[in-house]
Amino acid sequence: MSEAAAVDVKNLVKDFKGPFRGKKVQAVRDVSLSIAPGEVYGLIGPNGSGKSTTMKAVLGLVAPTSGSCAIFGKNSTKVDSRGEVGFLPENPYFYKHLTAAETVRFYGRLCGMRGRALRDRIEEMLELVGLQDARDRRLKGFSKGMLQRIGLAQALVQDPRLVVLDEPTAGVDPTGSREIRDLILTLKERGITVFLCSHLLEQVQEICDRVGIIHGGVLVNEGRLDDLIALEDRTELILENASADLMEQIRTLVEVTYGADLVSEGRARTTLESLFLKETQRQESGKGRLVRSRKVVKRVLK
Amino acid sequence: MSSSTSLFSPRRALIIAQSTVTQLVRMKIFYFLAPVALLFLGLQFFDAVWFEGPEALMPEQELRMHKNICLGTMMLFTSLFAIVATALLIPGDIEDRTLYTILCKPVPRLDYLLGKLFGVIAVLFVAMLVMDVLLVTTLHFRTEEKLLQTTEYMTKIGYPEREIAAGRAEMAAHGPTMILQFGVLSHFLKACVIAAVALLISTFSTSTLFTIATSVMIWIIGSFQSIARDGLFNDATFGEAPSWADKIVGTLISLIFPDFQLFESISDAAARAEDVLYSDMGHLFGLSAVYVGIYVVLSWFVFSDKEF
Repeated sequence: MSEAAAVDVKNLVKDFKGPFRGKKVQAVRDVSLSIAPGEVYGLIGPNGSGKSTTMKAVLGLVAPTSGSCAIFGKNSTKVDSRGEVGFLPENPYFYKHLTAAETVRFYGRLCGMRGRALRDRIEEMLELVGLQDARDRRLKGFSKGMLQRIGLAQALVQDPRLVVLDEPTAGVDPTGSREIRDLILTLKERGITVFLCSHLLEQVQEICDRVGIIHGGVLVNEGRLDDLIALEDRTELILENASADLMEQIRTLVEVTYGADLVSEGRARTTLESLFLKETQRQESGKGRLVRSRKVVKRVLK
Repeated sequence: MSSSTSLFSPRRALIIAQSTVTQLVRMKIFYFLAPVALLFLGLQFFDAVWFEGPEALMPEQELRMHKNICLGTMMLFTSLFAIVATALLIPGDIEDRTLYTILCKPVPRLDYLLGKLFGVIAVLFVAMLVMDVLLVTTLHFRTEEKLLQTTEYMTKIGYPEREIAAGRAEMAAHGPTMILQFGVLSHFLKACVIAAVALLISTFSTSTLFTIATSVMIWIIGSFQSIARDGLFNDATFGEAPSWADKIVGTLISLIFPDFQLFESISDAAARAEDVLYSDMGHLFGLSAVYVGIYVVLSWFVFSDKEF
């Protein structure tokens, strides 16, 4: 028997009633998507496009007007389905009167954990999100990034098979953002399914296997990321330590021998985020080590 | 983690109740006990001047006043506390989106509601216990003082031993007795019902302020509805028969709002040191359980389909 999809949304429609019997608003229109176990799926779309409503329907926080949502084959509207899910909402708030360790403990206990297993898991989670030093600090003094990290710890406390993340890096600095991204990749390596919504398209591109684009409540495009963003008639080559002579030969081969067009040629660029991380990490480590310069030639061949 | 989740799990409700207690304690909610303690202690030094002289033969009036003030204060504080604490919790969780992360764990909504209510009731119980200890302690010393003064006075003016003993016994009945505890218990049970009312309102309310204002209104209506019903149903009160409309309104009020008359009458009897039957207390427990049960079921009915 084949394994049930981690998330299975079928013909989801969600209407919200207007105030005082006003006109109803259709937030999601006939959305269907399926996420296989172990996949990282990104749902992207502008504000008000229906991303959060779809996510909430998957989590059972809103009931579908029609259609259905299931998690590992279990109906999302049933409490049973949530044993396998960890959820990190956008800009999460937790009980400010609890410490970091107490917060993870509270959510762990809600998932039925107890005793030594829970105590060990709390330490493991705090270490994973880098909050061991703040374990006994109350959350009311936490920064946005720290709240995001404790949110991840509570989402992962019961070792769920599916993690749902709503704007996981919102308000987090680039270093924290990178850590969260690395954490998602670690989850992926461990076979955990990730369903995320994000406005940061660069990040989605970097970590997602498949992407759905939602607009006006309609899933307008969906598929494997590589398939969606590939330009059929273009090929990219990135060379390292290429000599001027080699470059000349390639130019000749492309344009003279095969009659193709060399669209662009120049130094490959890193991203501003990578540069920022590299510089800040260099300053923090105090090693002052020079970044090794690489001569990379990037060519886009047509 | 794939085990099925039951409709209600006492353990999960207890976890949420513990968290609620921690939350309320760390909100320094017990600070409200400080003025109560000051009032109770201050009463020790207050002698009603109109009971001096020959009227000093009725010092039980002074003890009764002491009890009335203390029980009234306890009722006021526990009722307000029940409303404010409950009203802060659920709307607060919704506004903060803390509720999202809780309901996305395998937590049935009934567990969440009961956990919040049990948490508030647990804190109410502790607060009531502290106030009760203060009341019993201050009343004990006050009674001892009055017994001594009365015995001295009666001996001085030549009362026979038997009458002095009878006077002492009558006065001791106004001290810290079991009947007084019934009065305290009636206020605790009333506060539990009020907390359940506030829980129901907070399930459909959009703000803490609305929850508090509506709960206070229901508390007031509940306290006076029996007087209103008497006015509507009892011909002798206003000298004319009630109309059908009056009867319908009266019945609707009695169905929708809790009637706190029995709670008040037991408290009054405790202050007057009159007998309270165990059957009356049983009736009061039953009534409280029915009210709390109805409001919890209604809360669950509203909350189970609520969307966030």
